[in-house]
Amino acid sequence: MTVIHPNMADENAKIRARDVCVYYGDKQAIDHVSIDISPDYVTAFIGPSGCGKSTFLRCFNRMNDTIPSARVTGLIELEGDDIHGDRMDVVQLRARVGMVFQKPNPFPKSIYENIAYGPKIHGLAEKKADLDVIVERSLTRAGLWDEVKDRLEDSGTALSGGQQQRLCIARAIAVDPEVILMDEPASALDPIATAKIEELIDELSGRYAIVIVTHSMQQAARVSQRTAFFHLGKMVEYGPTSEIFTNPIEERTKDYITGRYG
Amino acid sequence: MSPITLILIAIGLGLAGWLAGRAKAWSFQSSDPAHRPVSRPIYHAWYVALWVALPVLAFVAIWSAIAPQLVTQSVLASPAAAELPAFGFERDAFLGEARAVAQGSAPGVFNSDAEPLVAPFREAMTRYNIIGVIVTVLIAVAGGGFAFLRLRPDFRARTRVERTVMAILLLASLVAILTTFGIFASLVFETVRFFGMVSPIEFLFGTKWGPDTMVSPDAVDPSRYGAVPLFWGTIFIGAIIAMIVAIPLGLMSAIYLTQYADPRVRTWVKPLLEILAGVPTVVYGYFAALTVAPAIRDAAVAIGISGASTESALAAGVVMGVMIIPFVSSMADDSMAAVPSAMRDGSLAMGATKSETIRRVLFPAALPGIVAGIMLAVSRAIGETMIVVMAASPAANLTLNPLEPMSTVTVQIVKLLTGEQSTDHPATLSAFALGFVLFMVTLALNFIALRVVKRFREAYE
Repeated sequence: MTVIHPNMADENAKIRARDVCVYYGDKQAIDHVSIDISPDYVTAFIGPSGCGKSTFLRCFNRMNDTIPSARVTGLIELEGDDIHGDRMDVVQLRARVGMVFQKPNPFPKSIYENIAYGPKIHGLAEKKADLDVIVERSLTRAGLWDEVKDRLEDSGTALSGGQQQRLCIARAIAVDPEVILMDEPASALDPIATAKIEELIDELSGRYAIVIVTHSMQQAARVSQRTAFFHLGKMVEYGPTSEIFTNPIEERTKDYITGRYG
Repeated sequence: MSPITLILIAIGLGLAGWLAGRAKAWSFQSSDPAHRPVSRPIYHAWYVALWVALPVLAFVAIWSAIAPQLVTQSVLASPAAAELPAFGFERDAFLGEARAVAQGSAPGVFNSDAEPLVAPFREAMTRYNIIGVIVTVLIAVAGGGFAFLRLRPDFRARTRVERTVMAILLLASLVAILTTFGIFASLVFETVRFFGMVSPIEFLFGTKWGPDTMVSPDAVDPSRYGAVPLFWGTIFIGAIIAMIVAIPLGLMSAIYLTQYADPRVRTWVKPLLEILAGVPTVVYGYFAALTVAPAIRDAAVAIGISGASTESALAAGVVMGVMIIPFVSSMADDSMAAVPSAMRDGSLAMGATKSETIRRVLFPAALPGIVAGIMLAVSRAIGETMIVVMAASPAANLTLNPLEPMSTVTVQIVKLLTGEQSTDHPATLSAFALGFVLFMVTLALNFIALRVVKRFREAYE
């Protein structure tokens, strides 16, 4: 069963999940996972392919709703509000819980419009000047401002892969979310671009609660303070990253960390 | 002897060559890897068969064209032909009759003068039939023998067979292209003749259309050949009224089908919509002429507009628009489906609603494909004939009022070419000039549309 290290229960948890199950049609992808996500740390989900870590991540902003056959049960709370409850609109939820995808997916619009997209639909800026401020601030936080400030009207798709991914992070930041979900954000990038993304995650942690799914254990070790290991749809072990990587309790975690499978 | 018989002979000999080639190739089989044949026996077999069949087919094609001439010449050389009238209609009629009787397709001669020619015809035909068969067999044997002797274990039969098959496929695809060039050439030829009688300036910029078919070709009044009212009618009906109907309805149905429809609904509605594209346009024509046009006239009269016509441009345009809906919707459907789902997810994850995602991300991303679809639809609409022939007016009319009758280029082409004028009359020739203009415009639209689609595809691959 799930091993949770001491002191992982969090009174101030940003996201609290209890007994979450996800089904794709008849197939169960996530089996009774409970977790508290701290607002102050970067939390990494690791595990072999198909273990359900991405599926679980997508529960937090209800992206599984876009898959017709997917069904989610259990309780997920954002700051104590049930995200499936009547008082939570999915549009509001996604404004509060941003997401960065595996493959950079800028819109085929200008760099400026890519960032302005979220603030515009959520009505965050009244005037063009406000929007300019948001765009500059988001790009600056994403570490992209200096590279693109002279060509904000160029297409977002014309940037390099790493720049596109930072553009997507800036886009997520622009609506000022509380949580940023990252689904293997560096797996389509080269090592230098990856390093930049990891640096960026480090800078953003503290300001936003960050949950990152990653294939790379080194990446989890580098960027996260909390790690959850998933296997076959179950959360096997959850604890401080340093503990998980140096002193795992579960045999399966140890096997995975030491590269015996996965 | 008909070409069919020759072809059957060729097939029979080809089969024999095929079997012989395969038998010889089988004898090459060896257990020693160093002496294993380069190609499999089946390719040796096909190599021989192709060498038999292709030369024979070429010969049959030529022979069936020249054999009748040879027969006629040999009949004319016979003593019986000395009685024939030297030239003209009668001479051809006699020859034709005698030939028909000799072939057995007519029971007897009508003109007794043709009677003496029947026997020479029969004789000549038999002679040339025998020659045809002999040459066919000779060619087949020569081709087959040549191929058969070339077969060796190290002979690369496969590459040769495949190259030949490729050439045949290429030839097949060239047929359509060459036909297009042929059409183009014939149009150009007749158009040039027409422009010899009416100046292109008059034709392209004149505003009065009313070819007088009764007047003699020498006394043509060029000012009656101004095609602007027709161009305007075509554009007004096909590119304006039809598109006002087709674009919104087509796009909305595409958006519904790709984004909102339940998969079960989609599996029913999409094919149904595509069936609309297969309805013969003449059926739309009935609908336009008998149902829509009177309804529009009555409605116009009811709200107090006088002078509304039952041949109004509106009726033809609206029905044409309905006909075009499937084209617009299916192209829009394809290009919206081609937008990567990562775009959609990215937008939804930003907290955009479904309709915001469609309006601000999917639609702009799919726009080039949609525009191309609309251009193809326009090119189809302006080339459409049956609906406008049945519902639009034969009288050209330069007006902005959609309730008045209007004519289109295609209507005039049909009208001018189904008349009884000689092909030398400028009225008839003007149909070719109209066709030429239409051809060029639709060609340009298709060309641009395909370029746009291609660039759009590259953007996502």
